[in-house]
Amino acid sequence: MKVGDVFSYAFGAIRLRKLRAGLTTLGVVIGIAAIVALLAISQGLQATITDQLQSGFATDTLIVSPGGGLFSGVGGGFGGSGSDFSLVVTDAQIIDEIEGVVTSAAIIQEIGYVKSGDRVVASLAVGVDFGVYSEIYGGTFVAETGEIPLNSGNDTVVVGKRISDPWKNGTIVCSVDDDVEIVWTNTTVRPPKNETQLVTVAAVLEEVGGLSLTGPSDSAVYLPISQAQRFFGTDECDRIVVKLASEDDATIEAVSEAIEDAFSGQVTVTSATAVLDIISSVFSTIELFLAGIAAISLLVAGVGIMNIMIVSLMERTREIGILKALGMKSRTVLAIFISEAMIIGLLGAIFGIGLGWLLANIAARVFTGGGFAATTGQRATQGGFVINPVLTPTVLLGAFGFGIAVSVIFAIYPAWRASKLKPVDALRYE
Amino acid sequence: MVLAVPVVETADLKKTYILGKVPVNALQGVNLKVEKGDFIAILGPSGSGKSTLLNMIGALDKPTEGKVRIEGADVSTLNDNQLADLRRSIGFVFQFFNLIPRLDAKGNVELTLSIAGLDKNERRKRAEELLETVGLKERMNHKPAELSGGERQRVAIARALANNPRFLLMDEPTGNIDSKTAKEIMVLVKQLNKDKGVTIIMITHDQQLATQANRIVKMLDGTIIKEIDQL
Repeated sequence: MKVGDVFSYAFGAIRLRKLRAGLTTLGVVIGIAAIVALLAISQGLQATITDQLQSGFATDTLIVSPGGGLFSGVGGGFGGSGSDFSLVVTDAQIIDEIEGVVTSAAIIQEIGYVKSGDRVVASLAVGVDFGVYSEIYGGTFVAETGEIPLNSGNDTVVVGKRISDPWKNGTIVCSVDDDVEIVWTNTTVRPPKNETQLVTVAAVLEEVGGLSLTGPSDSAVYLPISQAQRFFGTDECDRIVVKLASEDDATIEAVSEAIEDAFSGQVTVTSATAVLDIISSVFSTIELFLAGIAAISLLVAGVGIMNIMIVSLMERTREIGILKALGMKSRTVLAIFISEAMIIGLLGAIFGIGLGWLLANIAARVFTGGGFAATTGQRATQGGFVINPVLTPTVLLGAFGFGIAVSVIFAIYPAWRASKLKPVDALRYE
Repeated sequence: MVLAVPVVETADLKKTYILGKVPVNALQGVNLKVEKGDFIAILGPSGSGKSTLLNMIGALDKPTEGKVRIEGADVSTLNDNQLADLRRSIGFVFQFFNLIPRLDAKGNVELTLSIAGLDKNERRKRAEELLETVGLKERMNHKPAELSGGERQRVAIARALANNPRFLLMDEPTGNIDSKTAKEIMVLVKQLNKDKGVTIIMITHDQQLATQANRIVKMLDGTIIKEIDQL
């Protein structure tokens, strides 16, 4: 029997039991859709985050943080530093001496909030040298309104876009020349005490975009470093950002080593590239995990296919007997049953990819700003980033192949049983 | 005079089934010879082993002992694929028609040809010719459910003839249709034998029907008890 005839016979058998075939296919559709949607969303998210990090996070910078933990000094501190060593503000001068370093800025930060009249916005209070910081982050530490005070008095601050306009709806909490209070909770004294400082807004930054682990953030309020030292009552800084003369790997490596040596190995030097690598590896793990979960639903669909095919095999025992009596070879019977599963897998994969893509776009729409973000201030202050679901050729082909493969694999046993039926028994089957 | 090789020859054919735990000797040493152009009726009550004999001759089942030779070739030495090839050269007509319900009359005939690997145009042409031969030219696009018993059996005969078989095996071909239609079917079968020289082996328990054949083989309890030539 010709291959085309095998397929058309198989297709005819599927068409005869439309509802059953439809439901079986639905199992595959759901499995594939889940895989495609989850991967498209997570890859889209990864692309967004990487993109935003790259824009908010100059690739010619290094982050020096105390201790061994990679993220221990970044973003307000994930976990402890694991060491008693701490960086102080003046350490930036040591780093400035190293060859390949253009300049460096010490950063002190505390979690707090900005209060303007009755309105309160959660924020990170960051102390930096405005001059050096704007030299390092020339692309993002830029005033939208007002002017960044390079040699200012101690009571002027620069605020991120989401401090000025936290809910993105025109409700302005503070703008240039407004007086606001910065509050942080000092937990080093007993009982913990709220420290308050009255400052004037000198500038509102341009919107940076959602995530900024090391560079300027939309949700931060920037104080001059000397003011921060006094206000936070410490000379210890969270990290020092370093601007390099060049962003090539050799410079990054050489300067990193020089800095570590200068502090006798008590600091961790992180490059933007390294952070991006870590994020990408984290996402790979997440994607694998999500794809694994989705794959389980596809396996369930596979069991469904097997179940349906065994039932269908019993119903069609007589038909198989007839086919064999007409001289059909066992391997052709096998091919017919496998073809049926292949058609189901193919249809399931096509519709599944379509549905998955649709779901990914709907989910992206919901997560992105628009939906509930506008009503929950906290979420909005994280910065509205847009997820554009990504469907890579790998995911597309993988989903396609996986859908068909699962369908076919689970059909092998029933198909084999069908092919092994003895014609005389099959014909006698009632 | 050179003797031609018989189309079908069985030698001391035995078949034992195990039903539950009881062995049933369905065939107990059957010797049968069918020559080219024969029209043989195997007559016997139910349980006489005639269906079992038909399954052996049709290569649908394997004997416990003895041999079946089809045009000289020993069936027991053939593998699964060779058996399939052999079955393609045998035309089966069953009591319950055994048509594929979702295919129309033409589709059912074409299926046999498609299994044999013919291409679409060839099989369509041949199926139409065959259905015309059995008098179903006007009904070839109807599905089995839309055809009468007699018409279905005509489709089955057309299908059996599709691959120019070495012989036709008919298992109670009129057992499931009314007597008037049965007569018409028998006229067709006789015509095929007489005009086209098709070798026919027919099973029946109907004495009347058996008289249409050239030779009647009477079976009882798994053995041939009598062979009657009638000319």
